[in-house]
Amino acid sequence: MANLRTCLAFLFLCCSLCDAVYEDQVGKFDWRQQYVGKVLFAHFESHSQASKKLILATDKNIVASLNPRTGDLFWRQVDKAGPEGHIDTLLFHGQDAVVVTGNGRLLRSWESSVGALNWEMLLDPGSFLAAVLVGTQDSVKFVAVLKKATVSLHYLSNGHQKWTETLPDSDTVHYQAVYSSGGSQLFVLGVVPHSHLSIITFNIEDGEITSQRSVDAPWLSSIQARCTVVGQGVLICADASTLSLYMLPLSSEEPVGLQQVPLQSLDLDLALGFQPVLLTTQPNPARPPLAQFFLQLGPDHHVLLQLSDGHLSPLRDFQPAFLVSFATTGEKTVAAVLSPKNETVSSKEGVKRSFSEQSNQGSLITILFERKPDLYSADSGRRLLDTTVTIHLDPNGGKPEKLYVHAFLKKDDSVGYRVLVQTEDHTITFLQQPGRIVWTREEALADVVTMEMVDLPLTGTQAELEGEFGKKADGLAAMVLKRLSSQLILLQAWIAHLWKLFYDARKPRSQVKNEVTIETLARDEFNLQKMMVMVTASGKLFGIDSKSGMVLWKHYLRNVQPNAVFKLMVQRTTAHFPHPPQCTLLIKDKETGLAALHVFNPIFGKKSHVTPPTLSRPVLQSLLLPLMDQDYSKVLLLIDDEYKVTAFPSTKNVLQQLQEMASAIYFFLVDASQGKLSGFRLRKDLSTELIWEVVIPPEVQKIVAVKGKRANEHVHSQGRVMGDRSVLYKYLNPNLLAVVTESVDTHQERSFVGVFLIDGVTGRIIHEAVQRKARGPIHLVHSENWVVYEYWNAKSRRNEFSVLELFEGTELYNSTVFSSLDRPHLPQVLQQSYIFPSSISTMEATLTEKGITSRHLLVGLPSGAILSLPKMFLDPRRPEMATEQSREENLIPYAPEMPIRTEWFINYNQSVTRVRGIYTAPSGLESTCLVVAYGLDIFQTRVYPSKQFDVLKDDYDYVLISSVLFGLFFATMISKRLAQVKLLNRAWR
Amino acid sequence: NAVPTGGMEEVAVSTRGGGGTRRMKWALELSLGNTRSRGDRQSSQGDTLYPIGYSDKPVPDTSVQEADRNLVEKRCWDVALGPLKQIPMNLFIMYMSGNTISIFPIMMVCMMAWRPIQALMSLSATFKLLESSSQQWLQGIVYLIGNLLGSALAIYKCQSMGLLPTHSSDWLAFIEPPQRMEIMGGGMVL
Repeated sequence: MANLRTCLAFLFLCCSLCDAVYEDQVGKFDWRQQYVGKVLFAHFESHSQASKKLILATDKNIVASLNPRTGDLFWRQVDKAGPEGHIDTLLFHGQDAVVVTGNGRLLRSWESSVGALNWEMLLDPGSFLAAVLVGTQDSVKFVAVLKKATVSLHYLSNGHQKWTETLPDSDTVHYQAVYSSGGSQLFVLGVVPHSHLSIITFNIEDGEITSQRSVDAPWLSSIQARCTVVGQGVLICADASTLSLYMLPLSSEEPVGLQQVPLQSLDLDLALGFQPVLLTTQPNPARPPLAQFFLQLGPDHHVLLQLSDGHLSPLRDFQPAFLVSFATTGEKTVAAVLSPKNETVSSKEGVKRSFSEQSNQGSLITILFERKPDLYSADSGRRLLDTTVTIHLDPNGGKPEKLYVHAFLKKDDSVGYRVLVQTEDHTITFLQQPGRIVWTREEALADVVTMEMVDLPLTGTQAELEGEFGKKADGLAAMVLKRLSSQLILLQAWIAHLWKLFYDARKPRSQVKNEVTIETLARDEFNLQKMMVMVTASGKLFGIDSKSGMVLWKHYLRNVQPNAVFKLMVQRTTAHFPHPPQCTLLIKDKETGLAALHVFNPIFGKKSHVTPPTLSRPVLQSLLLPLMDQDYSKVLLLIDDEYKVTAFPSTKNVLQQLQEMASAIYFFLVDASQGKLSGFRLRKDLSTELIWEVVIPPEVQKIVAVKGKRANEHVHSQGRVMGDRSVLYKYLNPNLLAVVTESVDTHQERSFVGVFLIDGVTGRIIHEAVQRKARGPIHLVHSENWVVYEYWNAKSRRNEFSVLELFEGTELYNSTVFSSLDRPHLPQVLQQSYIFPSSISTMEATLTEKGITSRHLLVGLPSGAILSLPKMFLDPRRPEMATEQSREENLIPYAPEMPIRTEWFINYNQSVTRVRGIYTAPSGLESTCLVVAYGLDIFQTRVYPSKQFDVLKDDYDYVLISSVLFGLFFATMISKRLAQVKLLNRAWR
Repeated sequence: NAVPTGGMEEVAVSTRGGGGTRRMKWALELSLGNTRSRGDRQSSQGDTLYPIGYSDKPVPDTSVQEADRNLVEKRCWDVALGPLKQIPMNLFIMYMSGNTISIFPIMMVCMMAWRPIQALMSLSATFKLLESSSQQWLQGIVYLIGNLLGSALAIYKCQSMGLLPTHSSDWLAFIEPPQRMEIMGGGMVL
């Protein structure tokens, strides 16, 4: 009976916890944005006149198709992260996108219209070198894959292998290129560095080696990028040392040497440090490549060359020209050159060519980062088209990196084109012919490193009211006047608002714009709309409106190293009007250890006028103090490798405050490589002294994570009410650190996971727990008085959650102040573990304004779902047998399995692929917590861990309630009148 | 109150005379030739004329007797013991209503608590009631004790229902978070 009752209670509890969204709430306060990452390969599907699709392969191991009109994703196929799913190459023909993944592990063909997998073949082992489409008799039938020791030919239709051949002398010869020109031969080019070039010819039909020859080339070290095949099978190589080009007909039977063509003979002036790169195009794999090719002479110098009758001749010199590209439609091929506008318009070039310039002269002068691609057709040497288009690229963006051109034939047989430009900041911009930007995608957002949410500023009227309270009191009359004037302003604003409503109501709905711009940004009533400041790995910062997901500002930080470490801090919030809010980004270069500070306004993205200190020494850590200077900006301390401290801002006021507070400022550093945790105390002269050190021997276990508590976390309740109505006080040590270690020995029997709870001020180990036969990856959340971590149980082969809760006992030691230095008693520690049916990607706890609302854990699952798991299920006080008291406490009886309920998925079907982090921020409503999950996608929503107890529901029936109220009111009035009449009548009787 | 009292009759007549058709308990006819309805009625009843001051009904004996005093005493004790007598009933109700917090037990408790309090508030009025009794003070004290017991019972009920803030958990929400003495930060070496 008791069991049944507990079951019922449990069911009831579970039902009451359901907080899935209703169908009509989908997309109401949540949004998702999908990204693909930095583009490595791009192809335009060019069946018809207008391009239907854009096929991309990216560094995030994704093959995707974009809509060229809107930039939206048609489909996206996400492979495994890491080198296993790395896309080596993308070949495109007709409807098939052929992809080689995982360093030649797999060969796949995707159907480009719907993104379905046509076929997949496992390739023979060996590192991948090159792949090429092979065509015979004007049709493309095969894919040739060159690996270190073999070359294989696969059918394009079903992926089956036609033949595979081992390459001779593969231990000495570095085979690097494979080439076919539609004949029955397949050429494989290899090089023995600084010795000779090896050319092997295979018969496409049966894979037989038809010829094999070697040509002396002592100057050649690598074929890739230095050599290319042009025209009717002529190999052209460039050499930087002799400043010349070498030509060799591939198919000639008689042994001829390389023919040297010095670049001087072509009238080309060379820059110093000449690094030649050759670029050619083979529009149809069944045909030989074009006789025209680009030679890069310098970083911004390209020349278009032509090979005719065995003679090279320059067609046109492009300087400056950053990027060059070819595009083909039908029989016509255009060459595109991207050059900076403000430098190009030299008269020499301009007079020579009769190109139709379509540029905006006004913008030409003002915008510095203007670039224009010159396009002209190079079809059979005859120039058909020569056009210039001006592209306005974002001045805050990076330099263009790649150029993809899609050419198409217009109705009048002229060539139209669209351009896809990829810049250093991973932005891709798609442009149409008159230079109009069709769309841009900020692919840097596929790699968000860290983020913060900042309150939006108050509106003018709100700020006026705030200002009234902020100022010092100056007399009663003045205060009254001020109050009246501000009320007047409010009234005025309200009337203006009403007028606007009235005005808008007259217009058709479609015309009423509800766009968020940076000017109209203002805090809403409940502070639910915030500014998301996102830092991406490429060094681009974004300001995103949390309500709509619109990018409101972006700022690209140049010369950020690819492996830099970022730490974002909010130094001043928007609460200190008229001082602007201020964020500081610490960027540390991993290699040099040197750090730089980028101080900016998080609302507008503008760089602040405040000059950050120059950091001459490598920075180890930073520490944001709750102290403020006279401008309300929090003090940031930066600790360098000599353990000296730099303060920012470092005004006199700050230094004085620091001197006063120095003895109470502590910081800890964790050196994972040496397994050392050390605590320091600040001295008055801003030097530090070591006060404690804990060494966790790195040969046994390594520190994988250290987590303190979040600074903006509030705990409303200082204890837990027991069944007998006594209180179990929580051990709320703000200086507590949770340190997680993993054993170096990964053997299933000997591996373990260690959890240490260390006081960061005194270095005292409060608790240590070892989970035997457990392995990482470990995900950890540390909040209030609990630590939740997830690990892999190697013995039982399952994922497990473990929760540690710390209690001070039934008496508080000191209820007014908390000092780590005066805590004689160790807390009571309770622990419980649970089986979790899935592995997890990331974990975070919800956070609310006052901490009254119960907590949930937000768990990002590899499936892309985000689970909102009530903390109630992770409670070490869950009893094995339900008793009267535990029922009183609402404790769920212990069950080893943790359920995953689909209604707990806060993102319903909006999967967040490869979720890497979850950020939670409190809103102005106590019940509501804002959640941003980021990974490959970005998903923003709100969660209500204790339901919306402080707001009326969405479907609240205002009409019914108010009609009932009015009805009752009138009924009362009428009945009162009737009663009066009746009384009067009775009195008359 | 039909006690005839000498020469006041005339006044009584003159004041009550305007009563129209109202039937009087007694009336004094001063003129014989009066032809008013009252005369008619009397003549219809019979020709007997009663002397002045005569009434057909027996007049109650209003003199204070020993038995009445006992009655007053008894009545006063009734008033004084009323609250005490309610206690067993209250105990029964308490037992029946249980300790769960729902609308009916709460209503019971409120009633139980409110009645003694109301009684204690109107203590002076009750004392006035008891004024005529010789054991006024004793009765007053018994009444007081009864009411106090009643309210104690109500408090006990509240206590057993858990409505009284007698546990430390009831004051938990008022504990301020302790002030932090040290500032600490840091982390993994970047």
